[in-house]
Amino acid sequence: MSIKTLLIGLDGATFSVLDPLMEQGVMPFLQSFFAEGARAGLRTIVPPLTPPAWTSLMTGRKPGQHGVFDFFSMDSPTSRHIRFFNSNDVQCDTIWTLANAHGLRTTTLNYPAMFPPPHIAGYVVPGWVPWKQLRLACWPADLFDKLKTIPGFNQREMAMDIKLEEKATEGISDHASDLGPWIDLHARREQNITHVLKYLSAEDPSDLTAVLFDGVDKLQHLCWRYLRPEDDKPLTEDWELQLREMSIKYFRCLDSLLQQLCAMAGPEATVVMASDHGFGPTYDVLHINTWLERNGYLTWSEAAQSRDTQGALLGVGQVAKHTWLMDWEKTKAFATTPTSNGIYIVVSDGTTPGVPKSEYEGFRRKLMDDLRQIRDLQTGERMVTEIYTREEAFAGPHCASGPDLTLILRDGGLVSILPSPETVSKRPMVSGSHRPVGIFGARGPNIRKGLISSELSILDVAPTVLYSLGVPIPEELQGKVPEEIYVEGHLKNNPVRKAAAGSASHGQETAPAPSELEDEEVVLERLRELGYIE
Amino acid sequence: MRLKRGEILDYLLHKLGELTEDWDYAEPVRSESLLFHELGFESLDAVVLCTAIQEHFQTPMPFAELLADIGQNQRDLSVGELADFVNTHLGAPADAAVATRRPQ
Repeated sequence: MSIKTLLIGLDGATFSVLDPLMEQGVMPFLQSFFAEGARAGLRTIVPPLTPPAWTSLMTGRKPGQHGVFDFFSMDSPTSRHIRFFNSNDVQCDTIWTLANAHGLRTTTLNYPAMFPPPHIAGYVVPGWVPWKQLRLACWPADLFDKLKTIPGFNQREMAMDIKLEEKATEGISDHASDLGPWIDLHARREQNITHVLKYLSAEDPSDLTAVLFDGVDKLQHLCWRYLRPEDDKPLTEDWELQLREMSIKYFRCLDSLLQQLCAMAGPEATVVMASDHGFGPTYDVLHINTWLERNGYLTWSEAAQSRDTQGALLGVGQVAKHTWLMDWEKTKAFATTPTSNGIYIVVSDGTTPGVPKSEYEGFRRKLMDDLRQIRDLQTGERMVTEIYTREEAFAGPHCASGPDLTLILRDGGLVSILPSPETVSKRPMVSGSHRPVGIFGARGPNIRKGLISSELSILDVAPTVLYSLGVPIPEELQGKVPEEIYVEGHLKNNPVRKAAAGSASHGQETAPAPSELEDEEVVLERLRELGYIE
Repeated sequence: MRLKRGEILDYLLHKLGELTEDWDYAEPVRSESLLFHELGFESLDAVVLCTAIQEHFQTPMPFAELLADIGQNQRDLSVGELADFVNTHLGAPADAAVATRRPQ
């Protein structure tokens, strides 16, 4: 058996960072990859966020169809408690299960929403798992023991090390001595992941082989200033220039790993490269719950007013504290996480506080009108450029689980959910934040060479991967095979096969779902990992 | 047949023994061992372990309540206490709130 399709995920990759690096000779392999294949911008779903976006890539469906909306979800449409996402939240087939259902083997490394691991033919090493528990997360059950026999295997640098992530995001002083080792760690982590994938592929290759490198996202969050100094004041200090060099070194390392993986797959394999969203600079902070409070939609609890709720840089860790930060007798709308820019409306069932169902539409419309009036105090520019209702963003069977409103801010940034003296503030320095357009690339025997395609959708990746494997594409997938990326005549001679809706439905057999997580520390640690510093 | 508390404890000790061996943790894991202060668990480690326990016993259990209590009261959890918790909830009717959500 050989690899038919290699899927390489680059979390948060954007051409605005990669193109200059290719032009500067930092990523010569990537440059040749695009020259020998096709490339396109890849528009993601709303919101442009890791868990829902990667799940859309893996399923070919939007969040209202697959059921993942954020790092956290409300425990139920009427609950105020949140829990961390996991693989049991994915309510439909994935490319892994669909390939498996057609007798193909799959190896997948470091993808989110994969723990508990699906019991598929092949290998699974989930992403977003702490290193100490990696043994419990791998599939099949004896995989971890196999990994330990790989010369040079480093468990600690393969999976998440929360303590190291905390050190980087918590105590960062923007000095090379703090941030530098963290950047190097991510280069080593990508090397470890590549090392494992090469070993497994040599021993027991899979038809569909997939790997996700998430250091790209992390570096762009914390090191945007060093990757794109043109977005802020020039770099002048030695340590600033050193951090730029270290950031570039990470991408040089990544380029080498991409080359190794493509060589491993061989010239007959189709290689698909994709990111879950793009990236760009962010300068503002919209303190959304403070704004809601000042406009009569939210009331802080007495505890919120009497306790230190800022917690220095770790404000994001307070995400689970919303249950005590707000006075639930009076609050009618609130944001519960700083990751998805979602606002929930508290709806009364007739006996509980909140907005009566009969007044919901009017209430929501007024809230949207008010949100559109939030302005930059200096320029008068609107802060909120788009607002999606739940029905617009999340149509589908799981619509009710999404936030009532999702905001898009003028600089693509994220909201703060903490109490603040002001509703809008400036970041001390430019930071990286998610954008809707990421990257797509493909190379293989039937892929056009040197094509720069018009923008594709992240929903197109699953059909593209399935087509490359010869797997029929279920009717219910919301993306399409992008015809323009194939050489002339290929699709005519090899037409896309469709499968009737619901014909796959093998689902992911996994462990029982972990119960709702109210432990604020869990939330805090995961968000620290993200680098969402407010 | 319903498992005895001793069998549950044996399973937990065995599983934690395997894990700690991976970390080069020198001390033996005992019923009295504390997950956070002795074994160095982060909260996320506990979440993953709890999920693995549910998978092993194929029974949803209200671990959220346990973890929330630990977080709220800033207390630790011994392996023995964890065995007690599992023992209490094995065979208990599944709570709808923690029932497994399967694709389709």
